[in-house]
Amino acid sequence: MDHDDLKDEWKDAREQADLERRLRHAMQRKPAPVGLKQRVLATARERRQHRHGRIWIFQRLAATAVLAAAFGGFAAYRQHEEHEKEVQRGEEATRQVLTALRITNKTLDRVSTRLAENSR
Amino acid sequence: MQRRILFAIALTLGIACATAALAQDELPAPSPIEKELASRASHVTEVTLNRSMLEFAAKFMDKKDGDNDKESQAARQMIQNLKGVYVREYTFDKDKAYSEDELEGLRKYFQTTDWSAMVRERTKGSAQGTDVFVKLINGQMQGLFVLDAEPRELSLVLILGPINPDSISQLGGNFGIPKDAVKKAQKEVRK
Repeated sequence: MDHDDLKDEWKDAREQADLERRLRHAMQRKPAPVGLKQRVLATARERRQHRHGRIWIFQRLAATAVLAAAFGGFAAYRQHEEHEKEVQRGEEATRQVLTALRITNKTLDRVSTRLAENSR
Repeated sequence: MQRRILFAIALTLGIACATAALAQDELPAPSPIEKELASRASHVTEVTLNRSMLEFAAKFMDKKDGDNDKESQAARQMIQNLKGVYVREYTFDKDKAYSEDELEGLRKYFQTTDWSAMVRERTKGSAQGTDVFVKLINGQMQGLFVLDAEPRELSLVLILGPINPDSISQLGGNFGIPKDAVKKAQKEVRK
């Protein structure tokens, strides 16, 4: 082995050692800078808000409107149903009252006629 | 100890009096005779209206009748103060479908001191007849019971509450309570 070959080999070994050292240094675990997590989260939030901003508000408003309409509709339906039931009950009660009065009227008329006949 | 016993007696009497007073205004429970009559009848009409039902009907009539219909107004005025209406009408396919004992059983409820017989009409040898009982309190008619037994029809009408014969006569043209008979009964009660 001549002198040049030895020199090249030595150079390669030194470069490899240097690379290993840099790699080790690069791969060495380092603590995150103070406040990095907060900064990352704040940036992400800012991006998200910026992206969704108006759409998000409209979506919320629409959902609220749909819910309000659904509840309002249901309440109105229930109220209408209750009213209908009350009308039915009222009509039934009136029908019964009129039937009772009709029978009373007929019976008393008959009694009256019979008494008039007997008194003649 | 004696005070406690006296208090208990007074409380019991109070409850009994209150119950009796309330029971006077309540409609009677359907008699078993009515069930038997209904089973034999070809057509039955049964109407039972308590105070709350009458009040409800009066309110409903008040809302419904926008036009000042005289008859419905009179009906409304009449029913709104009533405590109960109990009406039964039985129609039979043949004669003698009910017995004298059954009619007597129906009359029994009204043969008390509260009720006075206004009309009592009988047909000899037959179960047919007419009974009109009125409940008079301080000269005011507070109840009316009519039992009319025809050969093929039996009608039973019980109205509880203040009844004005004049307002009744407005209904259906001629509602038919003989006014003279009411006056006569009122005089008898005053005596």
